[in-house]
Amino acid sequence: MPDSITAPRPYCARDFLAPESLDRADDTVIEIFRMMFGFEIGVVDVPDPNLPRPEPAELTAIVGFSGAMRGSCQIRIGSQAARSIASAMLGGAPIDEGDDSINDALGELCNMLAGGWKNGISALSSECALSPPTVISGKDYKVHMHKPSVSLSRTYQFEAHALYLTLHCEDIGPAER
Amino acid sequence: MKGTVLVVDDSAMMRKVVLRVLKMADVEFESVLEAGDGDQALALLRTNTVALIMCDINMPNMSGLQLLQQVKEEKLAIGVPIVMVTTENSEPQVRQAILAGARGYIRKPFTVDHIKNNVKPLLPA
Repeated sequence: MPDSITAPRPYCARDFLAPESLDRADDTVIEIFRMMFGFEIGVVDVPDPNLPRPEPAELTAIVGFSGAMRGSCQIRIGSQAARSIASAMLGGAPIDEGDDSINDALGELCNMLAGGWKNGISALSSECALSPPTVISGKDYKVHMHKPSVSLSRTYQFEAHALYLTLHCEDIGPAER
Repeated sequence: MKGTVLVVDDSAMMRKVVLRVLKMADVEFESVLEAGDGDQALALLRTNTVALIMCDINMPNMSGLQLLQQVKEEKLAIGVPIVMVTTENSEPQVRQAILAGARGYIRKPFTVDHIKNNVKPLLPA
């Protein structure tokens, strides 16, 4: 028997901001796009200026984290890009503009991204739960966090589209968990 | 393959994806039932006989794990393989699902090979 048992150190903003967090996000994005959609995707500092950005209508999907880490995973994408993803998920089946399956596909993508990211971080894997995804249409909105938070952002490019990922982590003390 | 497959997921898109990949893995059934949550799944299982259940975990109202418990309590789908299809794959969750009656576990994202390796062996030849 050990003399004492030390509880694992709570996951905090400093852990979240470590470079491994973004590496893990990149790996997750690449894995999902290859396996589920058959698209090659890569990180870009600035999206190709020739891309149609910003696209006329944007969609944002959000999945919340609770437990060892409180925060969210958000992806923002143009409507045409979301339509491409929905079509790829169905093996290339045509999807009409405005079809409900576009929002559904984007929500699932965000769910897989949030899950894949936190599953790859041992302090969060079994200690952090996901909320069901929410999808928002349009650009004129703001997401308010209750507590001070830190965030990590990344831009990816696939085919002729950009995908913006933001991970938020509430910067709270262990006593509040 | 004879019988019916039941796919339980709150995302209609994911239900389609699961059915598409099952087909690509040569796991095709005579008929398909779809449920958008645990309550719908229970209602279908009370009135239908199925040969395979593919079930998400993270669903509103009733989680996949709660559905497994209810299926066990009501003695529904006895002997039917239940495969969890989910983004959650921590060891405690996999263990919890297996203890609750799941026979297989597939993490999203998944490929045809994952279905071949994890679902096909659970079905009669």
